[in-house]
Amino acid sequence: MIRDWLTQLVQLAIVLAVAPLLTGVTRKIKARLLRRRGPSPLQPYRDLLKLIRKETVVADNASWLFRSAPYVIFATTWVAAALIPTFATGLTFSAAADLIVIVALLGTARFFLALAGLDVGTSFGGIGSSREMMFASLAEPAMLMVVFTLSLFAGSTQLSSISAYMLGPHMGLSISLALALVALVIVALAENARIPVDNPATHLELTMVHEAMILEYSGRHLAVIEAAASLKLLLYVSLIACMFTPWGTAVAGGGIMAYGLGLAFYVVKLAVGGFLLVVFETGTAKMRVFRVPEFLGVALMLGLLGAILLFVSRVSS
Amino acid sequence: MEHDLKRLLAYHTVENIGIIFIGLGLALAFEASGMRTAAALALVAAVFHVLNHSLFKSLLFLGSGAIVNATGERDMEHLGGLIHRMPVTAVTFLIGCVAISALPPFNGFVSEWLTFQAILLSPQLPQWIPRLLVPAIGATLACSAALAAACFVKAFGSAFLGRPRSQPALAARETDRWSQSAMLLFAALCLLAGVLPGGVIDALRGMSDLLVGARLDPQAAQPWLRIAPVSADRGAYNGLLVFAMIAFSAAATAFIARRVASHALRRSPAWDCGFPDPSPATQYTSGSFAQPIRRVFGSVVFRAREHVEMPQPGAPGAATLRVEVHDTVWEVFYLPVIRVVDALADLLTKVQFLTIRKYLMLVFATLVLLLIIIGIWR
Repeated sequence: MIRDWLTQLVQLAIVLAVAPLLTGVTRKIKARLLRRRGPSPLQPYRDLLKLIRKETVVADNASWLFRSAPYVIFATTWVAAALIPTFATGLTFSAAADLIVIVALLGTARFFLALAGLDVGTSFGGIGSSREMMFASLAEPAMLMVVFTLSLFAGSTQLSSISAYMLGPHMGLSISLALALVALVIVALAENARIPVDNPATHLELTMVHEAMILEYSGRHLAVIEAAASLKLLLYVSLIACMFTPWGTAVAGGGIMAYGLGLAFYVVKLAVGGFLLVVFETGTAKMRVFRVPEFLGVALMLGLLGAILLFVSRVSS
Repeated sequence: MEHDLKRLLAYHTVENIGIIFIGLGLALAFEASGMRTAAALALVAAVFHVLNHSLFKSLLFLGSGAIVNATGERDMEHLGGLIHRMPVTAVTFLIGCVAISALPPFNGFVSEWLTFQAILLSPQLPQWIPRLLVPAIGATLACSAALAAACFVKAFGSAFLGRPRSQPALAARETDRWSQSAMLLFAALCLLAGVLPGGVIDALRGMSDLLVGARLDPQAAQPWLRIAPVSADRGAYNGLLVFAMIAFSAAATAFIARRVASHALRRSPAWDCGFPDPSPATQYTSGSFAQPIRRVFGSVVFRAREHVEMPQPGAPGAATLRVEVHDTVWEVFYLPVIRVVDALADLLTKVQFLTIRKYLMLVFATLVLLLIIIGIWR
């Protein structure tokens, strides 16, 4: 019991502490791949500190929603990230929320982000919110189809059960699993505003989606939103790692060594995940906005196909 | 794509009825296959959604009624910025929007979560056809939930956020105390059913016992007020804990930001990438918000077409954009019926204005016809 609480608290702290580093490392690797020198991987921490110290500028007609939305977005993302077993299973709160809840929590964060984009009443905020919700209308079902596929395998929507099942002896390679992985990667790219869908480093207004929604934010509000965005990237990498490569995760009841090992494995997984993301990003070009629904539609169809294959193949078993 | 606030809500009822019927249909399928616990789960999900829908839809209709009272406008294209002028309505309407979009920690999420859990039990069904259909239904349900979120971001965003787009919206006043308290009551119930769903599920146990002969395990016995309809290994949700965690971490972040961060806060005109636009007409409207979704989904389902007329450069005429949207269900299912009824009514009107001679002939002909029929009958 005490150990579960401790694991949970460590997890809450770790995701928060590591998230900007993951963002920094991906930026660094990307710069190196483009033969630029790139800023230090610690730059996101410095950015956050700088933003926190700065004056906050709020638009004249911004309401309380604009000022409170960053905290809601950050809190829901943080809670969702804390529910994913990263280095150890047996989190206290994981019994409180399953995979569907995690997806829905991200939905809540997106809802408030889109509202915040509309609050000031400028055209860029509106364009960002409108496009974000359009992407979400395909990405969210695709994500839920992946959830369906995995929970049909494991007979549970609880992440710890799925993770344990994947480690277990029944698990072989399966077409459904591969389809689900591809679908989840596509959703992760779209949800984190990565390159084929959106460009996290863009400064051209009309190509922005995520950046357009937060255009009016500054100072501590912007710092909180940037931290939430880093957390979301970490969340998706951890989610993929937890469901598809659960090796090395400390199980409840293991010794202190198991926890240390789990932590080491987690760091390696994050690094590999970030590296693969950057390699993919460097190799592709950004799409037109109205090509994105086709891209996400592929994810939805793959997820659906994976689920249907499972539904059908359960006849024999 | 609908800009009339009340009609938008009415159309949205269709989606919710669909969710309820998914639950009822699954309950029947499970019941027919003898899976009584699963049937009870699907039934509870459906009835829970009925209850939720009654809560948040009433709340949203009250809110839209307050808007109509205050501004005389139902068209969202003429509203905007009401969050400053109607703060209580704004908060309660926001809660209704979050609840109806099936987002935690409110009640809409719980019933949708239960429906998903019921769907995930369906691979155990022996028949082929439902087994093939159910994943597609799950995908449709997920898609409709995401579209609902988009729709209510649009509704709340264009009615309450941004800058007022018309004079009545600028002059709007908050509604009276009684309306406010009614909305607050519904909002509180939405939150209550969302964070303590176990009580609602337990209250529905007798009903499922009567209808499908099975009941879910009492949720009050679960530790920490969580719900786990089938078993804790299959899936559990603790609305109270999730709500508490969100509230706690949001408060902690805000507190730390207050403590650590710079206190300086300045009000200034919106930045908007250096294009300060004085006219509220340059804002995103509900029409422009829905445009991407209209282009992705609407071109097939609603046969949405855009007609753009651009005057030549230098010509003084106004540019126009007209959007044409067809309601397929209305045109395919209702219009033919209406046309047939219309045509029949036209025929009958002719019969109504005949001369007395023709009436007599008609009566005689009917009599002969009936006699012939009786003769053949015998």
